[in-house]
Amino acid sequence: MALIEDRPLALPSGDSDDGYTPTGVFTRPTAETGPRSWFTTVDHKKIGIMYGAAAIFFLVIGGFEALLIRMQLWAPRGSLLSANLYNQVYTMHGTTMVFLVVMPIGAAFANYLIPLQIGARDVAFPRINAFSFWAFLFGGLFINSSWIMGGGADGGWFMYAPNSGVIFSPTHGIDFWNLGLIITGIASLTGAVNLIVTVLNMRAPGMTLMRMPIFTWMALVSQFLLLFAIPVLTSAQILLMLDRGFDANFFNVAKGANPLLWEHLFWIFGHPEVYLMILPAFGLVSEILPTFARKPIFGYPFIVFSGIAIGFMGWGVWAHHMFVSGIGPISVTTFSLTTMFIAVPTGVKILNWTATMWGGKLKFSSPMLFSIGLVTMFTIGGLSGVMHSVAPMDSQQTDTYFIVAHFHYVLFGGAFFGFMAGFYFYWPKAFGYMLNESIGKANFWLMLLGFNLTFAPMHVLGLQGMSRRIYTYDAGYGFEFWNKVATIGAFTLASSIALFIFNIFYSKSKAKKLPPVGPDPWDSRTIEWMVPSPTPVYNFDPIPTVTRVDDFWYRKYGETKDGKLVRIASTAEVAQQRTDGKGIHLPSPSYWPLVLAVGLPIVAYGLIFSLWLALLGGIVVVAAIYGWVMEPPDDPDAAHDDHGPEAHASDGGDAAVPESADADAVKEVETVG
Amino acid sequence: MQRLPKIVRILAVLSFTLVVVLFAALIVNSFQNAGKPLTSLNPQGPSSESIQQLLVPVTSIAAVVFVLVLGAIVFITWKFRERKDANPDEFPSQIHGKTTLEIGWTILPALILAGIAVGTVMTIINLNREEPNSINVQVAGQQWWWEYKYDINGDGNFDGPEDITTATEMVVPAGRPIQVTTTSNDVIHSFWIPGLNGKRDAVPGLRNPLKLQADEPGVFRGQCTEFCGLSHANMRMLVRAVSSSDYDAWVKNQLKDHRADPADPTAAEGKKVWQSLCAQCHVINGINDAKMKETPPPLVAGVAPNLTHLMTRGTFAGSIFNLYEPVSSDGQALPMRDVAAAGDPGAALTGGTVATANVNRVTLEAWLRNAPALKPMYPQGGRGMPNLNLTEEQIDQLVAFLETLN
Repeated sequence: MALIEDRPLALPSGDSDDGYTPTGVFTRPTAETGPRSWFTTVDHKKIGIMYGAAAIFFLVIGGFEALLIRMQLWAPRGSLLSANLYNQVYTMHGTTMVFLVVMPIGAAFANYLIPLQIGARDVAFPRINAFSFWAFLFGGLFINSSWIMGGGADGGWFMYAPNSGVIFSPTHGIDFWNLGLIITGIASLTGAVNLIVTVLNMRAPGMTLMRMPIFTWMALVSQFLLLFAIPVLTSAQILLMLDRGFDANFFNVAKGANPLLWEHLFWIFGHPEVYLMILPAFGLVSEILPTFARKPIFGYPFIVFSGIAIGFMGWGVWAHHMFVSGIGPISVTTFSLTTMFIAVPTGVKILNWTATMWGGKLKFSSPMLFSIGLVTMFTIGGLSGVMHSVAPMDSQQTDTYFIVAHFHYVLFGGAFFGFMAGFYFYWPKAFGYMLNESIGKANFWLMLLGFNLTFAPMHVLGLQGMSRRIYTYDAGYGFEFWNKVATIGAFTLASSIALFIFNIFYSKSKAKKLPPVGPDPWDSRTIEWMVPSPTPVYNFDPIPTVTRVDDFWYRKYGETKDGKLVRIASTAEVAQQRTDGKGIHLPSPSYWPLVLAVGLPIVAYGLIFSLWLALLGGIVVVAAIYGWVMEPPDDPDAAHDDHGPEAHASDGGDAAVPESADADAVKEVETVG
Repeated sequence: MQRLPKIVRILAVLSFTLVVVLFAALIVNSFQNAGKPLTSLNPQGPSSESIQQLLVPVTSIAAVVFVLVLGAIVFITWKFRERKDANPDEFPSQIHGKTTLEIGWTILPALILAGIAVGTVMTIINLNREEPNSINVQVAGQQWWWEYKYDINGDGNFDGPEDITTATEMVVPAGRPIQVTTTSNDVIHSFWIPGLNGKRDAVPGLRNPLKLQADEPGVFRGQCTEFCGLSHANMRMLVRAVSSSDYDAWVKNQLKDHRADPADPTAAEGKKVWQSLCAQCHVINGINDAKMKETPPPLVAGVAPNLTHLMTRGTFAGSIFNLYEPVSSDGQALPMRDVAAAGDPGAALTGGTVATANVNRVTLEAWLRNAPALKPMYPQGGRGMPNLNLTEEQIDQLVAFLETLN
């Protein structure tokens, strides 16, 4: 069974201290609360929260870099940043936002929600999950440590060869970028394997694939994209590492290399990357829109299959980043057409979301506002994407600010608005208190304004000839006005992020005086809302048996034949009560994921500064793997034999579904789709 | 429903209004391309015109789709909003989906896109069709300037004695197709003259084709659009389209070299300075072109701008500074570096007298005094021009000599 670490856990209230003494090198840590517990935790919820917190930390760094860029471009011949520093700042802004903000926020939601949405106790490999987080964090910190060790990378986040070679970038910035992203790549890859196994093996009884919540579906597609995309980037980065560190000639044109090799490898990774960043946000709004429209998602199977279609088609469009690179008219035509038609499944999603709202009873909560924000703003990004798929038009627009506008409408207007919606929606589930709704709405409107002020003018700037990645521009080209607007917008946007962070602390302080938030503050649909808020460490007690899509909703409401909804049970009746969790097997905490992850940046520093240090890091890694393997369970005698009958449900979706549930499932097929 | 604080409601209305106004202003502004020399929306040649013919319908379709989707969402959010007096126990009718509708809105966009695809493929074919009677020019990018080589005798070689090597500005006859081949001597650059065609990357080791043709005489500016390192922002280019007869005169003059010593004694001194310091990297045909073939300059790209006919160009240093005063349409003095209004070499373009009074001496001297201070470069790594620590006297002599290079 996939739940490798399905071992008993010493809960604070439990009495597992039965005199057992482990015989391994180190005893397993047992702390479940307090600061130390965060370093050794293998709990998917704590790891999810840490992913989110780290991503917001990096968001502040990346946002600060964005503000530096916008201040530099406020007026012609800006002098805030030198050309050299600007190139580092824009490279690090892109790298940070893609790899250290958007991807980890997706990972945060996936980690926190997938086990809850499929009715599992944790992910399949909890220690690997902890390792993924620490490797991501240390990789991110490693990349950013370049700022105090000789400067950041200066080749752009796309790091085209041969400009990334030692001749053209003699400082270590690109080495930090390269090795750091190899580390975060390892983190993404292990995380992807973990979540795929979790979704495929650990679903609650009755949770067939086509009953999974859409967020889980989209996150699953995302993880498959990661699984296949990240190794391509890592391979390319290892070639670059060998070129830069060991005088190899993979990208040395003088020795016969073709610089397009890097472009192909980077974009074979880079385009699926775009979809794996956006799909989790699509999943979030697919949860939120039905909740606040008070009606089911329109066309569940179409939303699911369009997500899968995007995942497949995303592999056949990479060369649209290279329309002007000289790949020849046949390739240009091919990728032009494939790119055009990927708009179809994306359009299906937008129309389904719109149809979900149609005829509903729309409640404009903060999560709903951000979700509608995603649908509209992403539509703009999607349409400008169709414009780029027309290769001759792209030959005018590519590498101008029009592209900058386009991908910010996709990644900020799309992914980030979706994440904001997700933050406001799931905050009570994760932390047990609601974010203030008035501030939340102000947050939305301020962000909508700032976002559009910043990025909408870039469409026109790009069409009127402003090139990307330029540290300055001259007067006389007509770029002044819209650049000023964009800079004002950037500060508005920054203030909306500040307002969000303020809201977190403000709402927490106010929450003490408010009644505790129940398990289901939004009257939601999926089973994660059954459990108490904040989620207990054991998630479900007992594991529910799922009979249809939106299972929790239909425990509360019944549907008559003509589609009318009637309440059949109160939330309190169908939600789970907080129990002492006694007898529930949970994975034990461990030091080793942290130790293993610490070894990786030591190896990376070693590859830059001294191979002896790399050897030391290697020893740490190997030792940590041994420690990991040899680590004793904290109570081997109790393992695997004290599941309650219902706890066996956690063994996955292959468990027998009760008769009655089968009958309901048939009904569901009739009603859904 | 809980009532929102007044300030949040004001913010919502303000934000929504501002965004609508912003979008309207942007749409209006995208039609105003006067005074925007780099705009891609004001095509001046057959290639850029055919792109524009595609852009107008595609953008219109995109705009219609956007208005429909946004309109639908605004309408839905207004019509189906939860009313204050709504009964909380009443639910909207529970529709799970409708397959016919789904199939419809899968097929409809696919059909629209198929239409766009037809136009796209036709335009791609059109843009790649070879033109008869075109002039072959090889455009090579290097950090951070462009070199142009003309295959004048049409033998497929750009380096023969009958061929032309020049830098920074590309002179072409209006109305005649130019077959450009882009390449690079160091990193990837991208050659882009938005008024004439889309861009094409200049990739080391590759030779990428691009058609250019200007309908009318004029100056067409461009900007390197593939990030190429430190001074990427300062890597510009310029196409000067002239009449057919001026082009012939220009070619004739470009084929001359500068073997003779200048008559002016200051300029003659300047030539000595040039030979001792500048000739290590730069070439003046007739002075050091033969020698340069034996000992290439100590530069990563292996080449520096050819200065044989420097004064026939209106701009220098990667087209970021004016070599001559720009001609302003309203007679106002323009800042010397304002290459948006490009300098005009006048009669010197075709080998006539250099209008020394119009030469932008201030910037040219400053450039000779300390080039990396004016344009970020990395001379210690063989990428860009170093500060040669010239004396003021040497600078005066050099300028006098350079002014003879018509």
